[in-house]
Amino acid sequence: MTVEANALHEIRDAIHTFVRLETCERAVVNSAPYQRLRDIHQLAMTYLVYPGASHSRFEHCLGVMELASRIFDVVTDQRNLVAEIRSGIHLPETLEHNYWRRVLRMAALCHDLGHLPFSHAAEDTLPTGCTHEDLSLAIIRSPDMVEIWERLKISAEDVGKLAVGSKHYPKPLTDWETLLSEIIIGDAFGADRMDYLLRDSHHAGVSYGRFEHHRLIDTMRILPQKESEQALPTLGIEQGGLQSAESLLWARYFMYTQLYFHPVRRVYDFHLKQFLKEWLSGGKFSTNLKDHLLLTDTEVISAMRLAAGDQSAPGHVPAHRIMHRQHFRRVADITDADREIDPDAAETLASLLSDKFGEEAVFMDRYTQKGKGIRFPVLTRDGGIEWSTVLSATLKRVPTFTVEYVFVDPVYSGPAKNTVTAFREELHKKKGGQE
Amino acid sequence: MNPKDQFSVLLDLVVELRNSGSWTGETHVQKATYLLQELLGLPTGFEFVLYKHGPFSFELREALERMEAGRLIELEEQRYPYGPKIAEGSASKRFRTSTQPAATFPQKIAFISKELGSAGVADLERIATALFVIRDREIAPSKRIPRLVELKPHVQIDEAEEAFRRLEQISKAATLAGLNPNPLNPT
Repeated sequence: MTVEANALHEIRDAIHTFVRLETCERAVVNSAPYQRLRDIHQLAMTYLVYPGASHSRFEHCLGVMELASRIFDVVTDQRNLVAEIRSGIHLPETLEHNYWRRVLRMAALCHDLGHLPFSHAAEDTLPTGCTHEDLSLAIIRSPDMVEIWERLKISAEDVGKLAVGSKHYPKPLTDWETLLSEIIIGDAFGADRMDYLLRDSHHAGVSYGRFEHHRLIDTMRILPQKESEQALPTLGIEQGGLQSAESLLWARYFMYTQLYFHPVRRVYDFHLKQFLKEWLSGGKFSTNLKDHLLLTDTEVISAMRLAAGDQSAPGHVPAHRIMHRQHFRRVADITDADREIDPDAAETLASLLSDKFGEEAVFMDRYTQKGKGIRFPVLTRDGGIEWSTVLSATLKRVPTFTVEYVFVDPVYSGPAKNTVTAFREELHKKKGGQE
Repeated sequence: MNPKDQFSVLLDLVVELRNSGSWTGETHVQKATYLLQELLGLPTGFEFVLYKHGPFSFELREALERMEAGRLIELEEQRYPYGPKIAEGSASKRFRTSTQPAATFPQKIAFISKELGSAGVADLERIATALFVIRDREIAPSKRIPRLVELKPHVQIDEAEEAFRRLEQISKAATLAGLNPNPLNPT
């Protein structure tokens, strides 16, 4: 018996049970840029804190393709379309629908091709103005990939624009393209976000990232956004899925607080960047595609291991810190209450510690969560539309996660405690004065 | 411009827009900031792309999120289809007294807020997109109106013409006010 030229293949997946793809699509998975993702850890060196978190971008991108396809099928199903935006949607069983479904799947698969070793952790070591999305776009447009797109009868530019979205594509996207890009990388419930929460949670062995994604996808709808005179199609949900959307957004908040911004994980990112700045030529990653595709976590780990054992090697000190768990120690978390008293509390403390122990012995980490995505249209049970933030008191209470940590060299972590205590006493006095 | 200075400009803009009777939603702040930067040369450092309702900066959206998290601003939710209004937050007064904007900024912010205060989202979309088209050096002056209509198909030709005229008026008023706007090279 012969296998059909374009048979359906199944790949076992820890989150979605099976990821399905056609023979012609398999050429993308088998390409060198995609295979490279096997050696890019999804969560950088989080595995040094959560040992199970050693999964890669390879399976994440397969998962995003699977979820994006499911979302596309639900939201373009004629039974799920509202009259107001129906004219702008390519309906199932049309050539356009089939074309864009394929483009969407391939864009979802390729959206992370430009990731550097250790994913986001190393992004600062790209030349100014260049992002991993720019590299993803360049790979999608590269001759080897264009050959595959031609066989799939889709345009490299269409794949590229959906993969990187309006923020990174150099030309304006149409409303339809913007909508499809939202399905992949949207803030509220894009397939990328859904997959990374579920997958990271599973591999790290924490339950914070779980939510009812089957129900959420089944209730997703394309709804009109009418802030201007034009009704723009945007992703929303039916009211019945609101609780699932709430649980996704809370899941994201908890994953940020418990996993992505775990202080030890963050300080390993810091030491990794220190190493890369010394180890890389000119302290920056090359944006040359050939160089980019040759470099993965494997090469960096190998270099780090060598540097850790050789005092004369570039990046010896940070490499030694990583390999021997001599990372900086957190001495303070600056809280919302601290910032209420002094918005610059973290800088003040870091500066006090630097004066005492030297600048190179102190690291201040600050991050505020981006793309909260809590406001989206909801199709109500009576057929009307309302904002999620009007219907859900729970969503309005999802905090924007801000982190401010101060770390010091482990040699000084003991004496630093006295400085932190004195600083806190000063802060409380200030509070008393303000009251 | 560093984030603190960006927050300072945005906060002053929110206050001035509200004083000018503007709805002061995110779209109003986005478009007013775009005109401040591209027409009046106030270097906010935000990068703008053409998005759903015309020029839009994802960095500016992130800045507003950070400002909300730091209680510099707060959102007043509205019923669909209107977006939330932006107002000063509980931490804004202390922040504004602790920051010193560059000498010309308040004048430019007050000017643009006054000019755009009564404009609706649709007007702002057209005016800001007209400026976006003008800033694209590959588009000949005679092709600007068709280009705007091509980018925003729901905009009628006469509305596009009016948007360019309005932009020219704002530019002339800025010159009279001594604000040295960037030249428009009008059609």
